[in-house]
Amino acid sequence: MFFKNYRTVILVGAVIVAALVLLSYSLKRDSGESVVKNLALEAAAPVQKIFSAAIKGVDNAWERYVHLVGLVEENRNLKNKIAGLQTDLILYKEGYQEAQRLQKLLSLQEEHQYEFIAARVIGREQAALSKTIWIDKGSASGLKPGMPVLAPPGLVGRLTDVSWHSSKVLLLIDENSNADVLVQRTRVQGIVRGAGSRGCVVRYVSKMEDVKEGDLIVTSGLSNIFPKGLLVGRVSHVGHMDVGLFLQIRVVPFVDFTTLEEVMVLAADQRNISQKKKPAK
Amino acid sequence: MIYYLLLPFVTIGLVVLQATLADIFFSGWLTLELSLVVVIYAGFRLELMQGMILALMTGFVFDSVSGSFLGLFTLIYLNIFLLSFFVSLRIASEKLYLVALFSLICSLIESFMLILLYRYIFEFDMMSNVLMVFVPQALLVGVLSAGFFHAMRKAEGLMYGKTIQSQQRTGTGGISAKA
Repeated sequence: MFFKNYRTVILVGAVIVAALVLLSYSLKRDSGESVVKNLALEAAAPVQKIFSAAIKGVDNAWERYVHLVGLVEENRNLKNKIAGLQTDLILYKEGYQEAQRLQKLLSLQEEHQYEFIAARVIGREQAALSKTIWIDKGSASGLKPGMPVLAPPGLVGRLTDVSWHSSKVLLLIDENSNADVLVQRTRVQGIVRGAGSRGCVVRYVSKMEDVKEGDLIVTSGLSNIFPKGLLVGRVSHVGHMDVGLFLQIRVVPFVDFTTLEEVMVLAADQRNISQKKKPAK
Repeated sequence: MIYYLLLPFVTIGLVVLQATLADIFFSGWLTLELSLVVVIYAGFRLELMQGMILALMTGFVFDSVSGSFLGLFTLIYLNIFLLSFFVSLRIASEKLYLVALFSLICSLIESFMLILLYRYIFEFDMMSNVLMVFVPQALLVGVLSAGFFHAMRKAEGLMYGKTIQSQQRTGTGGISAKA
């Protein structure tokens, strides 16, 4: 009867006592090894793995989301950086290309052993009747009318008007331009004349002479204006007209006149340099 | 019977989950004591025998997983369950602010018991943790318990059509939930 009336109290008391006994036992045997504890840990380990994997997935997704949020700002910054870098790159590329061109100009000087004056193209006049360019050197730098102007890999033209600090160059393709040339392969001589947008033509070559497409045209050095052996162009067409004594020879100049930026003015050839170095006794 | 079979797995899952979440959110600074909230909830909702077994099991698993001495949290959870069980005769769980307040007090009691046990058994003073750990943890438990009770009431409503609080524990003996 007593137990029935106080069953709940006895049960609660017993459970509390059991918990106290468990704690006391655990404190007394502080070995860290307990079968029941190990069982609980063994059971908890797979659950821990599952939760860790799930939470790691969520964590990764969250990090990606945070990354996306910051991506707009990062993208803006990167775009600004790219714009700055592109500007730098253009400057470097420009410098590199200029260095390449100047290197070619220098190689021209080394090849021919001439005294050159380098000049920068400051303007161009490509009208129907006139094909000229302006350069930034003039008589103050020692330039004189008639001096040949070169750019890799060949002849550009000659100076026509020279002021103190600028000069006008008559391009090889100008219709008023003439130069004594020869066909490198057969040594046949002629006169190259400008033909505007069509390039140049070589005149006064007899129909009897051997000239083929692809032949190289170089200066002959006969006129004392252009030194011998400067590259002029390559034969692109050879025409045999029924009437007339001469061949119709078209030449494509080696120099691209539309992209000229720097040129070399041939101030004196090797002979003149030698004479300058050895004054007359 | 199913309840007793599932209980070990549920408690293990619960304790591992709270340990994992606490590690993520608080980096070991606080313990996210979902287990304490569940024990308090059991005090309000379950029968004495069911609740005591749940408290024992939860406390035991918590002891095992947290690495404390076996029986430490078992004893604390058992006492908190019994306290909740008897308080549920006076407080209705519908009043969430009362539940939150009671949970906060339970958490503080738990902290107080821990301080006492560590002080007299291990001669280790934990008073320095009161402001930085125990008080924030108690506040967290209060907030969590309000949310948990609310969610469980909704779940009970969806599953059973009404709450499953027994007729004897509607809080009408003391502070009433009814307006």
